[in-house]
Amino acid sequence: MGGSRLDEGETMTTAVSVRRARSAQPRVAPWAMLAPAIVLFVLFLLVPIGYAIYLSFVALRVDGGAFGVRRQVFVGFENYVTALANPEFVASLGRLALFGALSVPITLGLALLFALLLDLPGIRFGRFARTSIFLPYAVPGVIATLLWGFMYLPSTSPFNYVFRLIGLPPIDFLNEGVYGSLANIAVWSSVGFNMIILYTSLRSIPSEIYEAAKIDGANEWQIAWRIKIPLLTPSLLLTLLFSLIGTLQAYGEPTTLKSLSNSISHSFFPLMKVYRDAFGTDNISSAAAASVVLALGTLFVSLALLRLLQRRTFEETR
Amino acid sequence: MSIAMPGTRRQRGRARVVPSIILVVGAIYTLVPIAWVVTASTKSRGELFSSFSFLPGTGFWQNLVDLSTYEGGQYWQWALNSLIYAGVGSGISTLISAAAGFALARYRFRGRALVFTVLLAGVMLPQITLAIPQYFLMSSLGLANTYWSVLLPTLINPFGIYLACIYAQSSVPADTIEAARIDGASEFRIFRSLAVPMMLPGLVTIFMLQFVGVWNNFLLPFIMLSDESMFPLTTGLYMLLNRGTGTPALYSLAIMGALLSIIPLVALMLFLQRFWRLDLISGSLKG
Amino acid sequence: MKRSTFIRIAAATLATATGLALAGCSTDGGGESSGPVTLEYWTWAPAVPDAVEVWNKAHPDIQVKVTQPAGADDIQAKVLAAQRAGEGPDIFAAEYQKLPGFVVSDAATDITDLVKDAKGDFSDATWNLASVGGRIYAVPQDTGPMVFMYRADLFEQYGLEVPTTWDEYAALAAKVREVAPGSYLGGYPDEASTFAAYAQQLGAEWWSSDGDSWTVGIDDEPSQRVADFWQPLVEQGLVDTTHFFTPEWNTMMNDGTLLSWAAGVWAPGTIESVAPDTAGKWRIARMPSWDGETQVGYMGGSSAMVGKTSKHAEEAVEFLTWLNGSAEGSGLLAEGGLFPASIAGQEGLSSLPVPPIVGGQDDFWTLAADIASDTADVTWGPNVQVAFDAFSDAIQKATNSGSSYRDVLKTTQDAVVADLKQTGFTVK
Repeated sequence: MGGSRLDEGETMTTAVSVRRARSAQPRVAPWAMLAPAIVLFVLFLLVPIGYAIYLSFVALRVDGGAFGVRRQVFVGFENYVTALANPEFVASLGRLALFGALSVPITLGLALLFALLLDLPGIRFGRFARTSIFLPYAVPGVIATLLWGFMYLPSTSPFNYVFRLIGLPPIDFLNEGVYGSLANIAVWSSVGFNMIILYTSLRSIPSEIYEAAKIDGANEWQIAWRIKIPLLTPSLLLTLLFSLIGTLQAYGEPTTLKSLSNSISHSFFPLMKVYRDAFGTDNISSAAAASVVLALGTLFVSLALLRLLQRRTFEETR
Repeated sequence: MSIAMPGTRRQRGRARVVPSIILVVGAIYTLVPIAWVVTASTKSRGELFSSFSFLPGTGFWQNLVDLSTYEGGQYWQWALNSLIYAGVGSGISTLISAAAGFALARYRFRGRALVFTVLLAGVMLPQITLAIPQYFLMSSLGLANTYWSVLLPTLINPFGIYLACIYAQSSVPADTIEAARIDGASEFRIFRSLAVPMMLPGLVTIFMLQFVGVWNNFLLPFIMLSDESMFPLTTGLYMLLNRGTGTPALYSLAIMGALLSIIPLVALMLFLQRFWRLDLISGSLKG
Repeated sequence: MKRSTFIRIAAATLATATGLALAGCSTDGGGESSGPVTLEYWTWAPAVPDAVEVWNKAHPDIQVKVTQPAGADDIQAKVLAAQRAGEGPDIFAAEYQKLPGFVVSDAATDITDLVKDAKGDFSDATWNLASVGGRIYAVPQDTGPMVFMYRADLFEQYGLEVPTTWDEYAALAAKVREVAPGSYLGGYPDEASTFAAYAQQLGAEWWSSDGDSWTVGIDDEPSQRVADFWQPLVEQGLVDTTHFFTPEWNTMMNDGTLLSWAAGVWAPGTIESVAPDTAGKWRIARMPSWDGETQVGYMGGSSAMVGKTSKHAEEAVEFLTWLNGSAEGSGLLAEGGLFPASIAGQEGLSSLPVPPIVGGQDDFWTLAADIASDTADVTWGPNVQVAFDAFSDAIQKATNSGSSYRDVLKTTQDAVVADLKQTGFTVK
C-alpha cells in the first residue's frame, strides 16, 4: 500500500483536499514533467529544422561583375532544383543505395541467423558468441573504420599477407572493393545490436507455442521457419528501420576511410556532400536544401515502415 | 523440459555441432579487429609497416608513453571529455526522459496524443541531418565551440522518452499511483519515490543506450568544436589519424589510442551485462 | 492549459534561454579596450608559434595568441562560422588560392592602406598573390614554388639523369620501370593544385578577370597539353597512382619505391616527418620544362589575413609586417620549415642549415631562391574549392575507369562556370 512510503508528517488535512480532487486528473503535473523535454525538443529539433528550411530558401548571391561581396537573397525553390538536379548528389544517392543494398540485408540476415541459432537448445559457446558478437556495439564507427582500414591497407593487411603466402592474388579492398569494404564495416558494427533485439524477442515467446509443434513432429528448422520468424516480424521491421536510418546517415565511416583510399570522393555519400557544401565551399543554402531533402526522405521511409509495423502488431494482438 | 522423443534427441545432438560452429565463426569474425588492435598497439613505429599484423611487437610501453605525452597529455583530456559528454549528458537526459515518459504514460491530459505523435516523429528525424542546422543555431547563440554545444543537443532523446513511456506503463501500476494520491502524496513525490524506483531497470538501460550513443558520437563534436582540448575520443582520434597522413609516426599513437578508447565500453558491456534490459526495445513493440 | 501552467512553462523557457545566453557570454571574456591588445591568430603552420613567442616578449603592448583549430582544409569553414557568430579571429592563415573566396564571403578586412609600407618587402609577383580586385587583403607569409625533389642515391645506383624537360621525364619514367621494375619515377597529378602548377608553367590561366567579369580557362590549350602528357604515362603504368600522404605513399617514399616527388619548395621539410630515415639521400632540382621556359608554378604557400570582425586591424598589420616581411620574422619562420615569401627572408636563407632530407646539397638555399624568383603570375577565382573538388573527384574516377583526362578538364570547367554564374558573377 502507498502509506508505507509516506512521511508520518502527512496529515488528514491534506487528505481532505486531496479527496476532493481525487477523481480529477492532475492538470499541471504532467506538463511540468514534460516541460524540460518539450523545451529541449523545440530548441534542438524543431528550431534547427526550421532554420534549415529557412536557409534552404535563401542563398548568397553577388550582383554581377567580377568582385563584390555576397549578400543573402530569397531564391525560392532554386536550391532544391539545383540539389536534386545536381548529378553529384544524385550519384551519391545511387552509391548510398548500392551500399545499403549490400549492408542492410547482410546485417539483418546474419542478425536473424545468429539470434535463431542462439535460441536453439543445446548449443555450445552460446554465451561467448552472444557477448562477442555484441561487442562491436561498444566501438565507435570511426574507430571501427580505423581498425578495418589498416587491415585493408596493402602494407599492413593480415589478409593479403596470408594470401601472398598461399599464392592467392591480393584483394584490393580500398579501391575496387570499396563498397564491399564499407559494407563490411557497417555489418560488423551493427550485427550484434540487431541480433540482441531479435534474440530478446525470441526469448519472450512462451514455450507452449513450441510444444504443440513438437508434438506434431516438427524439427527445429521448421519451427524456426513457420513459427519464430513470423512472430519476429515486428522486431525485424524495427531493426530494418534502425538499419535504414543508420545507412542514410553514413558519414563518419566513409570520411575516415577516405584518407586511406583513392576511390572515395568528397561527395561519395549524400551527407558528405552536405558537409562539403556547408563547410568546404561555403554553400550553406545548398547544404540546407540537401539536408531537408534527406530528412524528408528518411521520415517518409520511416513512416512507411512504422505503418507496416503497426498493422502487423495489431494483427498479432487481435 | 517436455518428454524427449528419441527422434528429437538425435536431432538435438546433430543440431548442436553446426550451429555452434557457425556461432563461433561469427564470434571470431567480430573479434578479428579487436585482436588486430591489441597486437598492433604492441608494435613500435618501425614494426608497424614491416611485420605481420598478428605477431606482437616490442613497442607497447613506448606507444603508451608517447600517446600520453602527445601534446601534453591531450589524449587523456579527450578521454575526460568523452566521459563528461557521455556521463553528464546521459545522466541528465535519462532524468528528462523518465519524467516525460512517465507523464505520457500515466496521465490523461489534453494534448497527450499530439505530444506523443510529435515525439515519435522526432525519433525518426535522423540525428545527423540535425547536426549541421544545430551548428548554425549554436553559432548564432555564440555557443559553438563550447562544452554546451555538444552537451545540450544530446539532452533530448526522443527514443529514450518513448522507451520510458513504454516501461512506465508496464512497471508502474496505475492503482499504486492512485493509492498514493489518496494518501496525499504530491505528484512530484509520486514520481520521485514511487515511479523512479519502479522504473529503475528500464532507466538504467535508457542511460546506457544513451551513454554508448554519446560516447560513440563523431559528427556532432566534429562539427561543433574547433578547439582540440574539448574533443572527445572519437573526434580526437580521427584528427590524429588525419595528421598521421603527414606524420606516419602518429599512426602508432592513433592505434594505441583506439585500443585504450574501446576498453571502457567493452568493460561496460561485459561486466554490466545483467543490467542490459534490451528486451525493453523489442518489448516496446507490443505496447 | 491553465494560465499558471503556461506561465510556468514560459518562465522555464525564458530561464533556459537566458542561461544559454549567459553561458555564451561568460565563456569568452570581452576584449579590454585599455591595456594590452591581444590578437587571436588561427593557423596550422608549426613554424608560427615559436616566432610569435619572440614577438610577445618584445611587444608587451601587442600580445598574440596562436590557436590551431584545424588543418589547411578545414580552417576556412571554422573561420567563416566563427565570424558569423561575431567571434572570428583577428588573424587567420589562408592559402593563396583561398584568398578570393574569403574576400567574396566578406571574411577579411581590406588592408590596402595599412600595408602600403610593406609592399617593398615582397616581390611584385608575390604581392599580387595577396591582392583581389586591385585591393590588398593579406600579407604573404610563405610560398611554394615548384621544385623537383629526387632520390640522388638511387638515381646514381640505377644510372639515371635528372630530367630537364618533360619529354625527358617521360622517357626516364619508362627507363625506371625497366631497370628497377619495383619502383616508379614518381606519381601523376591526381589533384588540382599539382596539376594547375604544371599548367602554370605553360602560362595557363584557370581564372582571369578584367575587373568586370570572369573568364574561366580550365580546359584551355595549356591544361589540355598537360592532360595529354600524363594520360599515356598512367595508362602504361609508367607512373604510380597512389595519392600522396596516404600510408601507402608514405611507405613508398620510405623504401625507395618512389624515386621523386614534384611539389612546393617546402617539400623537404614535410618529407622529414614522413621518411626521416631517408635523410641526406634527396636532392632538389629545377622542374622539367615544357619548351625551355623558366617560370614555375605554385603549390600551396599561405598568407595571413585580417579577420573582418577584428577590432585591431592596425595592430594586426603591425605584427604581420614584422612576422612576414622583416628579416627577423621571416628568419624565424624559415627555421620552422616555411619558405619565406619576403625578399629579406629569402636573402637570409643562406645562413640557415640545409634541411636534413637534402643534407649534403650545399646550394639548396641559393637554388631555391633562384627558382622562387621566376614564378608564374597566377590569378585565383572566387570558387577555387569548387574547382579543386570537381577536378580531384573527376580525375580519380577517370584513372579508375580509363577515361580521358581531357574530359576531366571539361567537367571541371563546366562545374566552375556554372557555379560562378549561379552565384551571380558575370562570366564571359
